[in-house]
Amino acid sequence: MEEFTNLFHGFAVTLQPFNIMVMVIGIVLGILIGVLPGLGGANGVAILLPLTFSMSPTSAIIMLTCIYWGALFGGAITSILFNIPGEPWSVATTFDGHPMAQQGKAGEALTAAFTSSFIGALFAVIMITLVAPLVASFALRFGPAEKFAVYFLAFCSFVGLSKEPPFKTIASMMIGFALAAVGLDAITGQLRLTFGFTELLNGFDFLIAVIGLFGIGEILLTMEEGLNFRGGKAKIDLKVVLRTWMSLPRYWMTSLRSCIIASAAGWASRLPAPHRPRS
Amino acid sequence: MNTQESSNSGPSHKVVEIGVALAVVVFGLIVLLGSISAGIGWGSEGPRAGFFPFYIGLSIVISGAVNLWNAMRPDAPGGIFAEWGQLRQVLLVVIPATIYAVAVGYIGIYVSSAIFIAWFMRWLGKYGWPTVASVAIGMPLIVYFVFEKWFLVALPKGPIEQWLNL
Repeated sequence: MEEFTNLFHGFAVTLQPFNIMVMVIGIVLGILIGVLPGLGGANGVAILLPLTFSMSPTSAIIMLTCIYWGALFGGAITSILFNIPGEPWSVATTFDGHPMAQQGKAGEALTAAFTSSFIGALFAVIMITLVAPLVASFALRFGPAEKFAVYFLAFCSFVGLSKEPPFKTIASMMIGFALAAVGLDAITGQLRLTFGFTELLNGFDFLIAVIGLFGIGEILLTMEEGLNFRGGKAKIDLKVVLRTWMSLPRYWMTSLRSCIIASAAGWASRLPAPHRPRS
Repeated sequence: MNTQESSNSGPSHKVVEIGVALAVVVFGLIVLLGSISAGIGWGSEGPRAGFFPFYIGLSIVISGAVNLWNAMRPDAPGGIFAEWGQLRQVLLVVIPATIYAVAVGYIGIYVSSAIFIAWFMRWLGKYGWPTVASVAIGMPLIVYFVFEKWFLVALPKGPIEQWLNL
C-alpha cells in the first residue's frame, strides 16, 4: 500500500499548475526535437538541460521527462506523415501509420500514436512502482544466453512474417548484421571491415541507414509513380481525436499485449531502444 | 508524367532479380574478405575480430546464391520491373542527390543544399524565381540557426563558411 500512497502523492505533485505549464513547454520542445531527424530524446534532454537550472528539482525532472516523451511522439509524426522515421524507435510506426495517412486518416493515426504512447507510459510507470524490486532480481539473471534467445526469436519471426521468399529476408537481415559489424570490435578492440577508411571507424549509424532506406526510398517511389512528393495531410481537430478515442477501447487487447511485451522487453535487455549489436 | 512515350517496355523482372542477387553475393564476398583479413579464428582472448562477420558474410553469399538460383529458374515470375519512363523519373532524383551527397563533403552542406533545392524547384517544380530564391536561401539559413546555433550540432562546412568565419 505504501507504493500506492507514494504514487498518488507523485501524481498530486505533477498536477500542480506550474508543473502542468512546465509539462506543456517540455512536450512542445520535445516534439520539435523528435521531428528533427538525428536528434533523439536523450540529445534533446542534454541540450535543453540549461533551461531547468532555475527550477526546483521536481519541476526540472518533470520538464526533462516531458521533453523525452515529446521527442518520442515527434518521431511518430514524421513516420506517419512522410514515412520517414524521425527516431529509431518510430520505425515500426511507419508500417501502419503511413498507409493510414495515405488513406486520409492521418489524424486518426496521430491520435492513436499519442494515446498509445500515453497508455504505455502510464502502464510502465505503474508497473515500475509496483513490481520494480521483483523485476530487478529477475533482470539480473538475464545473461548473454537469454539475450541471444530473444534476438533469435525476433529474427526468426522476421523470416516467418515476411511475405517475400525466406532467403531474401535472410539476405537483407545479414546485410544489416554486416553493416552493424563494421568498425571497432568490442572484444578485441581491433578494426574490422573498414578497408582503411577512417570514416568507417564508428561503423554505420542505424538512424542514417533507416532514413536512407525509408525516406529516400519513399521519395524515389513517388517519383516513379510520376507524382510530386507529398506528405500525408493531417487535419486534426477535437472531433477526430474524440472519434479515435471512442474507437480505441475496441483494441484493448492489442494495447494490453503491447504493454506487456514492451515491459517484458524493457526488463529483459532494454530492447526497445535499438542499439547496434557489437557481436 | 510521361508514361505514354515508353509504355510497356523496360528491364524485365528477371534481369533485375539476377542483378540484385549478384550484387548481394559480391557484397557478401567483400564481407568475407574483410573478416579474413581481420582474423576469423580463435585468439588467446576468445573469438577474433572477424569471427562473427565471417559467418555473416558466408550467410550473405549463400542466401544470395539461393536467390540467384531462384531468379534463374524458368518458372520465376516474369513481367517488367519498371517502365523506362519511370526509371528516368527515379534517376532524375538519384543522380542530383548523388552529386549533392558528394558535394557536401567539399563545399559544405549549406551551399550545396541551396543549389540542390534551387535546382529541384526550378527544374522539376517549375516555380518562379522569387519563390526558388527565397526557399533555396531561406532553408539553409533556418537549418544553420536551428542546428548550429540552437542545438549546437556541427554540420559539414566548406570554403565559403570558412571565408565568412562561421
